[in-house]
Amino acid sequence: MRSLYFGILTAVFWVLAGTYSEISWRTVRPCIPEIGRRDIEPTLGQGVLLGILGGMRTVIADGTWVRSYVLWERKDRPGCETLMRTACALDPRSRYFWENTGYVMGYDMAHWEVRRRGGYAKVPADVQEHLYRSYARRALEVLDQGVVNTGGNAALLIAAGQLAEMKLKDQLLSARYYRSATESRNAPWYAPYFCARNLWEAGQREESYRWYRKIWEEKLSKSEDGAPDDLKNLREMEQALHLPIIQRIPRPAWEK
Amino acid sequence: MKAFMQRTTWITWVTFLEAIRQRFFAFLIVLGGAMVLSSVAFRFMDFGHGELKFVADFGFGGMFLFGSVLGVVMTAQLFFSEIDNRTALTLLAKPVSRAEFLLGKFFGTWLVLAIFVFVLSGLLGAVLWSRSIELNELAEKMGRLAPEFSPGGLVAFALLQWLRLGVVIAIVLTIASGARTFLYAVVVGALAVVAGQLQWIAQDVLLKPEGSVWYRGVLWVTSRLLPNLEQFNIGDALVLDPTSVPANAVVQVAISGLIYMVAFLMLGTALFRRREI
Repeated sequence: MRSLYFGILTAVFWVLAGTYSEISWRTVRPCIPEIGRRDIEPTLGQGVLLGILGGMRTVIADGTWVRSYVLWERKDRPGCETLMRTACALDPRSRYFWENTGYVMGYDMAHWEVRRRGGYAKVPADVQEHLYRSYARRALEVLDQGVVNTGGNAALLIAAGQLAEMKLKDQLLSARYYRSATESRNAPWYAPYFCARNLWEAGQREESYRWYRKIWEEKLSKSEDGAPDDLKNLREMEQALHLPIIQRIPRPAWEK
Repeated sequence: MKAFMQRTTWITWVTFLEAIRQRFFAFLIVLGGAMVLSSVAFRFMDFGHGELKFVADFGFGGMFLFGSVLGVVMTAQLFFSEIDNRTALTLLAKPVSRAEFLLGKFFGTWLVLAIFVFVLSGLLGAVLWSRSIELNELAEKMGRLAPEFSPGGLVAFALLQWLRLGVVIAIVLTIASGARTFLYAVVVGALAVVAGQLQWIAQDVLLKPEGSVWYRGVLWVTSRLLPNLEQFNIGDALVLDPTSVPANAVVQVAISGLIYMVAFLMLGTALFRRREI
């Protein structure tokens, strides 16, 4: 009889332990960086498991990144991409890994592929263009993931904007990234201008002026120097749009 | 009850003395200490993290890895040395219950691991503190944001690691109570720790409303059978970004760990009672 009671008590404790662990896990879950399980699967046998199991995620991610550099020098696209994505998955809050993975995928890998197919003289221009675009799109996917994992890092948004502009030649998409960068914390000074310039060049001239002006009035004009370069750009836009004086930005005292 | 406590304390003390004299313990604590102290020298391998994060991660990794190895191997070794040398037979012939024997083994080993965890945490704290002073001065000169280091967070993390190792010891003792050989207990114990460390995957899937009923049922059972050891790894947040940790997180994880320990020790006692020595 005593054994039965003991058995029942053990079972009760077991269920209690499992149930309570679910509650405590819900509480601590946001403190533990999310890990992209699909990204690390191909490298699980290469010491990465240690990183997932407990501490050392940063250290293992760094080691993985060093190894990816070796493959980058060898221009080994699949190996390099796998290891770089693994580093991102192991330490998803690190801006550095996402940014550089995006750069390598977007700018280098298409060239490796062109060389692998015989070089720039042999591969037709349209195929080359297709390769540049497809790798840029993949790089943008990586950067988008990075933006989500780092809580909207401005540097990643800028990198994405650059890539969309230079490789995809999609100025509207690029403007969207620069706009998000402008709205994020630690936005660089040039982000609003780049957004406005891309919108302008994409044909949305009024929209570009309206947005740029709003940002200047609400944010940039309140900076220490009043952002005179941005005001100069806005004046050029007003000229180009032939805006009547009354509709232009009122002249601040310090403007030349 | 008093006699129960006395006998358990006595076995605890004997186990503690036996464990602390082991060369294996000395070897791992020196190795762990060397790893923590040398972390500053490996800074050149760091990419894009805060320096303190890299150093802290090195220390946490050492504590996790060597602590787990120590917890699994030493517990099984101390348990089977009593069985193989027939000292358990002599001991249990006296008015000492099997529960007292198991509890004594548990607390003795857990005390040794307390020394392991708190010595390494002390070393890590010293390294982090000295680097944070230097980095704060540098940040002040360059007008940048100084990195944060919370000594209180490190103490909380050390306590959580100690509790995690307590759960590991309880698991290994439960396995050893039913096992015939030392090797079996070590191998299955190590696998159980790995499974426990990955149990969060099942819990994460359960938190999302997807998958069939059967799949979710299997996950539910798995997440009940195995302890979630990953929940103890909140060192980064506790030490370097303490404001991001919910107020009750440490207490909840500690309670969860304690319940697991009791559950495993009860199962271990039940198994050990049925065992022929």
